[in-house]
Amino acid sequence: MERNAQHAFDAEEVMAYLDGELEPRRAAALAAHLVSCSECQEVAQGFRALSERMLSFEVGHPSAGMNEKVLAALDAGKSSSVSSAKDVPVHKGWMWPGLFSHPRVWAISGAAIVIALVVIGIPGRHGLPAPASHALREQSSGYKSWLSKDGTSLEHPQDFADVKSPANALPASSGKMPVFSESEPAPPASADEALKAPESVGPMIVQTASLNILATNYDEASVAIEKLAAAHGGYVEKLDAKAQNGNGQELSAALRVPTKQLDGFLADVRKLGHVEEETRSNEEVSDQYVDLQARLKSARATEQRLIELLGTRTGKLQDVLEAERELARVRGEIEAMQGQSAILVHRVNYATVQVDLSEEYRQVLGSGPISTGTKIRNAAVEGFANLESGAVGLLVFLFAVGPALLFWLAILLVPVWFVWKRFWVRARS
Amino acid sequence: MNSDDQLILEFQQGAREAFVELFERYREPIHGFFWRRLENPARAEELAQEYFLAILQNVPWYEPRASFRSYLYGIAVHLVAAERRKAGREVVENEKLDGRAAEGNAAENNDAGIWVRKALGHLEQSAREILMLREYEQLSYGEIAAVLRLPVNTVRSRLFRARAALKNQLMPVKD
Repeated sequence: MERNAQHAFDAEEVMAYLDGELEPRRAAALAAHLVSCSECQEVAQGFRALSERMLSFEVGHPSAGMNEKVLAALDAGKSSSVSSAKDVPVHKGWMWPGLFSHPRVWAISGAAIVIALVVIGIPGRHGLPAPASHALREQSSGYKSWLSKDGTSLEHPQDFADVKSPANALPASSGKMPVFSESEPAPPASADEALKAPESVGPMIVQTASLNILATNYDEASVAIEKLAAAHGGYVEKLDAKAQNGNGQELSAALRVPTKQLDGFLADVRKLGHVEEETRSNEEVSDQYVDLQARLKSARATEQRLIELLGTRTGKLQDVLEAERELARVRGEIEAMQGQSAILVHRVNYATVQVDLSEEYRQVLGSGPISTGTKIRNAAVEGFANLESGAVGLLVFLFAVGPALLFWLAILLVPVWFVWKRFWVRARS
Repeated sequence: MNSDDQLILEFQQGAREAFVELFERYREPIHGFFWRRLENPARAEELAQEYFLAILQNVPWYEPRASFRSYLYGIAVHLVAAERRKAGREVVENEKLDGRAAEGNAAENNDAGIWVRKALGHLEQSAREILMLREYEQLSYGEIAAVLRLPVNTVRSRLFRARAALKNQLMPVKD
């Protein structure tokens, strides 16, 4: 199928024409050309003959049993009878809900989110409290609520819209927080559109706040925190509550609140009790964002060049393979940078608020004398527990020391026996 | 006649007949798909059955993002890949094609078919898959690109190379 380079149509175009894949104008020209060009006719005939020859690779017909089983599964309601097909791999691009129903995917996603949080870090946010032994509840929503299914765009209405509009961003010299307007345009349709044009963007500031509050009515305050976050358009990222004997209850909540709602949210949170400590910090990430966008733009240009190269190449097969490997690498970089950019924008649009709520603890008087029966029962239980632990301790001791003890006794008893026997024999004689 | 996309959407709404019609349309092609790739008629039928059960199971989550044929054959390609991994013979697939040609299913194939199968076995796997999707499953370049997640231009150039290579493989036979 090699062709003269000067020919009007190359063999690949003839093939695409026969497959019905050539663009209409080019196809019309090629059809007219084929009438008069014997060389092209020969090429076309070669493709047709090859296709016909491939059809000689015949296959058998499925049995009736297959039909019955599939239709039986259909009638059975697609439930129990299809369980054997649960491990069948599914085309991921069109099966996100099915994919995300798999627990392993959730586990991997969770691990990825944790790693991303550790790597990226949240400035000004102190380490989350370690899980207490008496933790009552824990809730974590992570980033999955705002990252789109393909991980390249955001789904919260405020995302990107705020960043795109220079009118929303105050000059860097103003020293104030950027105020975002509610009347922003809807989020862009694609990640490409969303992530462009950083040049006109004002300062991008990641805001964090932390409050320690002593609540007089802990129960109401702990419930109110979640409601307040929801009311201001935010969500609970992590929540730990614990209660220990002799101490009041404590609640630690990591919240994400739209930046424009931060002041109002903090004002409402302060009403929950006495504020013992409050800190706020800002981090400008404009340089990171601009740098990321520049690298993204460059990577996209490289990707485009590689695609064009592959589409028009006439080089060696090895060159094509190398170009395809490079293309895959560049695509991976682009996806990673899109993800980083989305995370950065989310951090700007959603402030992080750490609220540590403590109960104003009052010692409770005892609930009355314990009955004699209860005391006896408790004593019996304690006695049995002591017996059990003593027996276990003795067994542990014997197993730990016993072999060594037997060994040394065996070593020492033999000479002692001889000495004693000799002494005893002399004494008798 | 309803299109495949219409039928699958109707089935999502609960129309049993829609799936039956889809099954009738694709029962033989899907069975042939597995047969040609696995060279094991019994296993091909099992896989075809598992495949349709998987389709049934996943219909509630189907989203018409591309053509239904791309969706169908995308699942089938994944299934074959999983089967090869499971059998641990992906690497030696090509070498074994020749040997298996003489096994039980030889009776169903004429001499020309055996030569074609042998020639296909010598092609690089990606090129072979593109060529087979085009010739046997009659997928368009765009559908093949969607199934294999490749650019359309790449599909076209690989298909051309695959056809040229197959022609070279079959040439001694022809002569």
